[in-house]
Amino acid sequence: MNDEHDHDHDHDHEHEHEHDHDHDHDGGAGRRMPRRDPRAPRGRVLDAHLHLLDRQVLDREGVPVTTVDDLELDGIEPGARIEPGSPPPTLTAILTGPQLLTRLFGGHAPAARRIAIPWKLVSAVGTTVRLGVDADSLDASWVERWVSRHLIGRIPGGRHDPE
Amino acid sequence: MILSDLLGSDAFDADGRRLGAILDVRLEISGAPAQLLAETVVTGVLVSSHSRFSTWGYERRGEDGPFLIAWLQRWLHRGSFLVAWDDVELVDVGRVVFRAGYEQLDPMLPRAPREA
Amino acid sequence: MKNLFAVALGVLTAIGGFVDIGDLVTNAVVGSRFGLGLAWVVLVGVVGICIYAQMSGRVAAVSGRATFEIIRERLGPRAGLANLAASFLINLLTVTAEVGGVALALQLATSVDPGWWIPVAAFGVWIVIWRARFELLENVTGLLGLTLIVFAVALFMLSPDWGELAGQALQPGPPADEPVATYWFYAVALFGAAMTPYEVFFFSSGAIEEKWTEKDLAKSRLNVLVGFPLGGLLSIAIAGCAAVVLLPAAIDVTSLSQVVLPVAEAGGKIALSFVIVGILAATFGAALETTLSSGYTLAQYFGWSWGKFRKPAKAARFHLSMIVCLLIAVAILATGVDPILVTEYSVVFSAVALPLTYLPILIIANDREYMGDRVNGRGMNFVGQVYLVIILAAALAAIPLLIITGAGA
Repeated sequence: MNDEHDHDHDHDHEHEHEHDHDHDHDGGAGRRMPRRDPRAPRGRVLDAHLHLLDRQVLDREGVPVTTVDDLELDGIEPGARIEPGSPPPTLTAILTGPQLLTRLFGGHAPAARRIAIPWKLVSAVGTTVRLGVDADSLDASWVERWVSRHLIGRIPGGRHDPE
Repeated sequence: MILSDLLGSDAFDADGRRLGAILDVRLEISGAPAQLLAETVVTGVLVSSHSRFSTWGYERRGEDGPFLIAWLQRWLHRGSFLVAWDDVELVDVGRVVFRAGYEQLDPMLPRAPREA
Repeated sequence: MKNLFAVALGVLTAIGGFVDIGDLVTNAVVGSRFGLGLAWVVLVGVVGICIYAQMSGRVAAVSGRATFEIIRERLGPRAGLANLAASFLINLLTVTAEVGGVALALQLATSVDPGWWIPVAAFGVWIVIWRARFELLENVTGLLGLTLIVFAVALFMLSPDWGELAGQALQPGPPADEPVATYWFYAVALFGAAMTPYEVFFFSSGAIEEKWTEKDLAKSRLNVLVGFPLGGLLSIAIAGCAAVVLLPAAIDVTSLSQVVLPVAEAGGKIALSFVIVGILAATFGAALETTLSSGYTLAQYFGWSWGKFRKPAKAARFHLSMIVCLLIAVAILATGVDPILVTEYSVVFSAVALPLTYLPILIIANDREYMGDRVNGRGMNFVGQVYLVIILAAALAAIPLLIITGAGA
């Protein structure tokens, strides 16, 4: 079971050019060989689709709230030229609810119908997205609360631990 | 703007030549400190010349298992590159344009820390 | 006894996968038509489900993520939804069949018409899911299901011609009077029955219900290595009994009473009562497994709160979806459909749905972000990829074979 240790284990940014010699650059003039991003990362680096989309969102107690159905980015004006040196866009919210339908079937959900969890409530990002608040304080969990209050909580034994 | 509107958009250089499709958006948790986590800012976009689809990231992680899938994914995304956000000139519906003299960077991710 | 309970999850998962109502009948049908000529498929299936369950159990223990969360995360919402639809349909058909199966087993025990037992069986399944702790549920059904070992005992008591049985098993291929396509149809059905996705959904979610961590990896391996081979052994024993008693008598298996006929012949009333208890526990266990799997898959795809370790009110949509599933199952059975026929189709469809549930686990088992140093070794990846090819081949062949052979008729 130990053979996973002898290859690629201590992979870090210094060794990465070993991996890109098979990249094929078929562009014309003006294209250069890719090099590493010259700016050293100043914090955890994430790729939005790879590391965040469709991941589980857990509340402060570890209770599942929803999945990351989409993300809202602030600071991008569609169609407007970006002035050099302007501040970069920021991640402002996790979107859920109707946003899953638009990702499934295309189209746009009206902004008013979106259910958003503000990104500032996120306390940690790993294989899941952890929030620093309780699920019950969020709009995103109203369906769960409704079903719990009006259906499941009314069946005898629904509010007790299993035996 | 919504992330999924950006993903899959066509990427063009300043001369209007199509370079590929936006595969992903690179983020960094490094902005102004906030209550729980520092602000998360966009630092770049990833472009793939050959395929719009990837959620597995073999082309930007050092991982190589299982071999068959890693090989197929690397081939699908051969020549994908990262463009720093500073080199992005314009974002429109289904279209991203880079500045003249933009630079193609290595898309490789630094090794992620494992969540405890 | 404590060690026995430690593998209860694996045993229950395997019993629900290998000897649930559909498999009990399919195994007997196969035995009565092909002897042990398809035993090799069970072997291939057992190894496959061991690999699959071992990877998903390891992912669940190390990363805390259950299988359908992984499927949604790797495949994205669209392919994930297609997978959910297929898996959920298979689950629902199997829940229907198992509730019907519990009713048939109760009929075998009491001679009361199964129509009366259907609502009782569905209510029984619900009340256990609603009130019983996960450990209690898996220990009781897993342990009682073990009485099905009586099939293996019966095979010995029938003192068959072992040389002939070994000959059937070692010279695979269709008998002269069966078409080649039918032989392969049953091969795919047996493979699909061994590697049903709901087993893995249940096993990985069960690992989280039992709060396994990285320390429990040895336990996970033990569960896999005891449970699934045991399931495979029972499955071959049932086929063996049928091959010895029913094949020479040219009896076509169409009902549960024919499945237990060889056991009654070998061991009389005592063996028969054992086998009825075993079938009751196995179908009831399978009903629990598939009902819970329906809830697990839906909740994990949409990110709802789930788990029997929570109060029902704290996993409301999870419990609601299982109640709805059981109601639909009763409604389907009320139309008078034969539950055994239902599972024959559902195992074939599981073979079709399998590649898209297997692939994400194979990928995540290699992902250091999830697994740290517990990623697949080279050997595991090699067999994992061999099975990816086998699974793809079975999935592609399943529907054409179903049509050509008219479901193996």
